Amino acid sequence: METGSIALVLNAHLPFVRQPDYPSFLEERWLFEALSETYLPLLRLFARLETEKIPWKITMAVSPTLLAMLADQLLKDRYVAWLEKQLELAGKELERCEGDPVFFPLAQTYYDLYLQNLDDFKVLHGGNVLAVLDFYYKKGRLELMTSGATHSFLPMYRAYPESIAAQVENAVVTFRSAFGRSPSGFWMPQLGWYPGIEKTLSAYGLQYTIVTTRSAMLGKPTPLTGSYAPLSCPNGFMTYVRDVAATESVWSETDGYPADPAYRDFYRDIGFDLPVDYVGPYIDQNQVRTYTGFKYWAITGHTDQKVPYDADLASAKAVEHAENFLYSRTRQARKAAALMDRPALMVAPYDAELFGHSWFEGLQWLEALFRKAQGTSELRFVTLGEYRKEYPEAQKSVPEFSSWGEGGYAAAWLEKSNAWIYRHSFKIAERMVELAERFPNESGLRERVLNQAAREALLVQASDWPFLLRAGKSGSFARKQIEDAVTNFCRIYEMLCANTVGTEWLTHLEKRNNIFPNINYRVFRRKR
Amino acid sequence: MNVERLTGLSIEALYALAEKMGLDLPAGLERLFVMESILEAFEEDLVDRKSSGQTASHMEEKKFSGSELDEIDASLDAAPCIENRYNETVIHLIPRDPEWAFVFWDIKDDDFDGLCRGSESAGLILRVGMNPGPDGTCQDSFDVNVSQEDDHWYLQLPEADADYRVELYARCNPRPRLLARSNTIRTPRALTAESMDALDETAVEVAALSGLDSLMPQQVPDRHPSRILGGFDD
Repeated sequence: METGSIALVLNAHLPFVRQPDYPSFLEERWLFEALSETYLPLLRLFARLETEKIPWKITMAVSPTLLAMLADQLLKDRYVAWLEKQLELAGKELERCEGDPVFFPLAQTYYDLYLQNLDDFKVLHGGNVLAVLDFYYKKGRLELMTSGATHSFLPMYRAYPESIAAQVENAVVTFRSAFGRSPSGFWMPQLGWYPGIEKTLSAYGLQYTIVTTRSAMLGKPTPLTGSYAPLSCPNGFMTYVRDVAATESVWSETDGYPADPAYRDFYRDIGFDLPVDYVGPYIDQNQVRTYTGFKYWAITGHTDQKVPYDADLASAKAVEHAENFLYSRTRQARKAAALMDRPALMVAPYDAELFGHSWFEGLQWLEALFRKAQGTSELRFVTLGEYRKEYPEAQKSVPEFSSWGEGGYAAAWLEKSNAWIYRHSFKIAERMVELAERFPNESGLRERVLNQAAREALLVQASDWPFLLRAGKSGSFARKQIEDAVTNFCRIYEMLCANTVGTEWLTHLEKRNNIFPNINYRVFRRKR
Repeated sequence: MNVERLTGLSIEALYALAEKMGLDLPAGLERLFVMESILEAFEEDLVDRKSSGQTASHMEEKKFSGSELDEIDASLDAAPCIENRYNETVIHLIPRDPEWAFVFWDIKDDDFDGLCRGSESAGLILRVGMNPGPDGTCQDSFDVNVSQEDDHWYLQLPEADADYRVELYARCNPRPRLLARSNTIRTPRALTAESMDALDETAVEVAALSGLDSLMPQQVPDRHPSRILGGFDD
């Protein structure tokens, strides 16, 4: 008898980083690394499960910024060039490790990985990763959702309904142009929900999202089914609830599966360990040491004395952890279902890049999950849309403002390192409304200018930059992204006020920040 | 940060870096001593950052693989390179969590110059009003005194699930002069909307199974906003 369902939800997102003015750019590697270690291996995992007829269901949010980058020809070309360099380094590693019974097989693993990625990306997929996602979407195995246009932490902008509408509208439009249909699900960036946003989401045809357990449990009225069934806002917009136990077992870096000593250590990388003369051609052009992706050590424990990575041991551990996950969820579902009138739903949302990139064995864990669940009658995997069709009724309740950030609210995006951003992003949100009101029916050059202003207004709202500033990672770059968007917007604003347009500058900017080609600045007109 | 990286910096840059890191080094030290002091301080900071960070955040950080520059970035804590104001008299209020809100403001140069003309101004007042009514009157309010040099503040609020608005006053004699009024915010709930006693036994059991206990208010976190600012108004 079925006692529970698991909805695995992966949020695939990276901020918009595209620097055509430079021959290569350090932060563009975020995309290349995610493609190599998460997205392409994930597509191979889907193919294996399909070939072996193993049932699987995943809901996946693909953020509009990531969609734009995956479809961008410049970044595709750069990815191929980067892969070729990685293969060159892998070749050198094979030579360096030749004869070493421990490290040579690992070097061979990396060589095989990059070779397979190059072949898959160029030949098998023809550079079009989105088409493969669409293939599984149409098959009903993979359900795709959208997210905020620039992954803005939306509660921060609740006083600016025009900005909220612009974040949602451009997400829906981008999704539609990539997949030829409208999305039903919307991933709240950082799971940042606030009461009232359901009206905007519903206005764009969106039907459901996921909120934190805190959001749901502190909602009004208090849910009677805890996190084990979705809730419905008065307008019918549905909110699924993140399951604490299912997410913690994977998310926690100290207590979660990824912390197991047998798994590959993320931080020990030859980019930091080997002489600059050796890794120089494969790190940043300024010879700044960075990650290369070649890692040979296991987590081992809280020590610098790491033991070499044992791939077989780690694989066995991933299978063991998958079994543990299923066992724990089965027990949990039994307890919850006994208290409910339907099987318990456990929604497990994760960052997609956790699997493979951050947690190297994460994809093996995912694969083992579906393999081990095959044939069990108690648990089944569902997508969020599928569940909604099966159980359209839900308790009426409006979740409370919350997020999955530290402290459960807005603290991660509003503290010493990043609070300065809002002085600018709020002003830009106001000025964008002012521009849309002053110039409601423009065409030609002025329309282009206004659309670019709208792009910059959205880019400045990305939640990634305050997150990175707080984390102390790529801080200069994050700050520069904000400063550039603010400077670009202010320049456009002044040009429009002075009734002059620098065409050459505008064209250059349009080419650089080419996200949202179908943007319509009028979305920023005042909401009456 | 490592010795190799620091070796490339001039002695002036090393001193500047040390100052940014809060080190008070005597002038004229050998560069080796300056470098050692910086590395020691950096190691201490690193331990602090690692212990105060949340584990899930660390997991999320990994997708933004960084470089050795991150370490210098984090130590420098550089300010943004753009003009930080728009020369207008305005105040904005943002809810942060059930207990805290962030307020920032600006005062137009002309207004600033004219502050309390004829009388001596002694700073600014943030008047925090709770549950403002349609006629503008508030159920309760309290004042926070700030200096004319301040342009933002973290406010500790008395109640969750309540509406707040802040008015910015110039502290003038004989009475303060209103400069700007903020938007109204509502702080989120910290507890369930209804008492658990009001729910039936099954709902309470499901809530417990959903991890409700782990969501209840915790002790004041290390990253207390008052520490971030280094001082709060009484």
